[in-house]
Amino acid sequence: MSAFWLVLISVTAGTLISSVLACLPGLHIYNVMGALVLGILALEGTAHPIPPDVYLPAFTGMIVGWSMLNTIPAVLLGTPDESAMFTVLPGQKYLMAGRGFEGTMITAVGGLAGAFFLVCVMAPLAPRYLPVSQQVLKGHMHWVLWVIITFMLMSEWPKGGNRGPAGWAKFYDAWKTLLAGLATFVLAGLLGFILLTRSPVNHEVAFQNIMPAFVGLFAIPWCLLNMISAADVPPQRSAKSLAINGDVILRSVWSGGLGGGIAAYFPVVTGGVGGMLAGHATAQRDERIFIMGQGVSKFIYYVGAFMLMFVPGLNLTRGGGAWMVKALYTPMGAADYYLVLGSIAVAAGLSYLMMEPLTKLTLRFIDRFNYRHVSTVALGIILAMVYAVTGWVGLFIAAVATGIGLLPVLFGSRRLNCLGILLLPIACNMSGFGETITGWLGLT
Amino acid sequence: MKGFSHFMSGVAVASFGPWAIEAAQNGNPLFFVLGGACGILPDTLDFKFYRFFYEHDVYITPDPKNPDPQYVADEYARAVAMAVDEKRYIRVKLVSIRLGADFWQQYVVKIDNDKLEVQVQFGPVVNTGQVPVEGTEKRYPTVARAKLKAKVIQTYDAGMKVDIFDGPTIGLKPMENGDLDLEFLPWHREWSHSLTVGAMLGVLVGAGVWLASGWTPAWQSFVTIAACYGVHVVEDQLGHMGSNIFYPITKLRTPGLHWMHSGDGLPNFLTVWICCLLIFWNLYRGQPAMTYHFGFIHLMMVGLVVPGLVFGALRWLLNRGQKIQMAKGDDADDEWNDSKAAG
Repeated sequence: MSAFWLVLISVTAGTLISSVLACLPGLHIYNVMGALVLGILALEGTAHPIPPDVYLPAFTGMIVGWSMLNTIPAVLLGTPDESAMFTVLPGQKYLMAGRGFEGTMITAVGGLAGAFFLVCVMAPLAPRYLPVSQQVLKGHMHWVLWVIITFMLMSEWPKGGNRGPAGWAKFYDAWKTLLAGLATFVLAGLLGFILLTRSPVNHEVAFQNIMPAFVGLFAIPWCLLNMISAADVPPQRSAKSLAINGDVILRSVWSGGLGGGIAAYFPVVTGGVGGMLAGHATAQRDERIFIMGQGVSKFIYYVGAFMLMFVPGLNLTRGGGAWMVKALYTPMGAADYYLVLGSIAVAAGLSYLMMEPLTKLTLRFIDRFNYRHVSTVALGIILAMVYAVTGWVGLFIAAVATGIGLLPVLFGSRRLNCLGILLLPIACNMSGFGETITGWLGLT
Repeated sequence: MKGFSHFMSGVAVASFGPWAIEAAQNGNPLFFVLGGACGILPDTLDFKFYRFFYEHDVYITPDPKNPDPQYVADEYARAVAMAVDEKRYIRVKLVSIRLGADFWQQYVVKIDNDKLEVQVQFGPVVNTGQVPVEGTEKRYPTVARAKLKAKVIQTYDAGMKVDIFDGPTIGLKPMENGDLDLEFLPWHREWSHSLTVGAMLGVLVGAGVWLASGWTPAWQSFVTIAACYGVHVVEDQLGHMGSNIFYPITKLRTPGLHWMHSGDGLPNFLTVWICCLLIFWNLYRGQPAMTYHFGFIHLMMVGLVVPGLVFGALRWLLNRGQKIQMAKGDDADDEWNDSKAAG
């Protein structure tokens, strides 16, 4: 079989598999990729090794498909991962107005626009400019993280303190949400220190050690909230038009590209943080632009980070997908870059085509069953996934993380503070005092 | 300007200090963190602290069990009468109406100076995302009215809409001609938005640092804090509302230059982007062994002018022949809504 067909079949298979898997709540494609990487490593040196021409396009397709279609469980089932967090509220608003199909499809258009931006705009420029910026910024990543943490914590405004006479009682009422936000950040950070220093998860599933915590912090609280408070989802209708034009797409790419680009380029800055920064930086008031921008941001965060690994002359590994592939393969120049870019383009088109039928299928499922039951099933699937990948220890970690993840739900503070799980320990490590803190905590 | 623009401006100003870059290269992020924090600090002081201690003369608190627009109109008229009769500044709080965990009764207060009356209309019930709940739009069709004792002059163009979380404060200031000047959020951009307060804060922190670590980090902290705090005040002067620039020497806000509204997308983005480029330039200058070399003009062309022109051209192409309506903004209203909407 010629290399062309091999690559095409691989990328198609990867995209289709991940498109379907993306609809399962709680399952991250990196969990699947981690298992595949272990399998490929096991086959190395045997009579049937898997060549890079097969797994590179397949992995690219998996990341692309997942980054595009994980909107479906996030919006329609209310089980977001961290990167899709900002699409949930406006997306569920669409769902509750009977326009869930429209909400997810607008995000998908954002993903497609993100693919165009990445392949046609960023890719030609990246080999020329990114090595320069990397040389300038490489010694400064730590303070960028601290600055982002500072903004994240300082930019949360109080939501209470709305009634009664001026004074300390009013101040305390207002600060309850902020204090809950700070507590969430610190507790998540402490959990992060434990998991990153002495993870109780079996080393054989080392790629997955943070997964149960993420599920507990982000997806499970949302499921619980839906189970407790879910109103009936109204009948859903399919829109004939998404009421978007070129200008909306352009402005979405502008805001989402910035947020996703920051998240992809800077270590530990995730899609959720990128989405937040993009929203603040571009001050968009239009809800469609916001939702589509989140689609762009999420796509560029996942796929752009993976692409960075292949940019000639850059030698930059960002994101879980790239780190896993790095265990298998070291990119070798422009040929690999073009291979990955071509795979991104094909996979983006395919996964966009998958979006409509899979969204309609999920909506039919929601229409047929009570949404509270849907959330219960989603929670069951999530717990089963966690157990399957990480066992009882993983479930325990997820339970602890859920306790922390429920704080913002109960107090109405910002859920993004849960990202302290990565931001705090890694910022401390990068600034050189992580070990001192783990020493205080008795972890080292 | 929006909080993020102020924050990035603070970081950018901090990056001009060679000591900040040197410290960062040695693993110390403090000057940059300080820069960003001081950049956003004036708004933090207002929205997170001062407003909860701000006393009001009249609290207009509609009953959630029996929301009555006439009560709001009457109370508003009473506040106006107080300002006229007692010839003093009256602070009025419009309290929001919470109907449930996620539901709020929206209402709008309008002044009709021709008829010398205040008009209050209850709108739909909205959820915390400010989305109207279907079927609640026309529950209160009547507009409540009450006669005012004086004209109330609004110097800003935002309507007074009350819905989620907190309701706004308005100040009614008697003027010499008998009219009342309406100040939206009088607790905002008062003492906190002052260059002198920024300098004082720098002196205080600098003194602490001097005691702990000596003279050099002390003056570096002072310069960073005063400059980063100051850039917030200067940026706010580009808008409409202005700031009380030299409090406590000055007592009133100095009106802004009216170049932009604080919530406008393009100026905010340009500010953030230019700040990023300036930070990048300063880091480049502080880098000891660069193999790539470029000049400031080159950076601005590649990073700002060319992408800006391409974006502008694309937008023009996509919008040819279409009438684009931009929502009119207002400094105070933008910031007030941001403070409620930021998640």
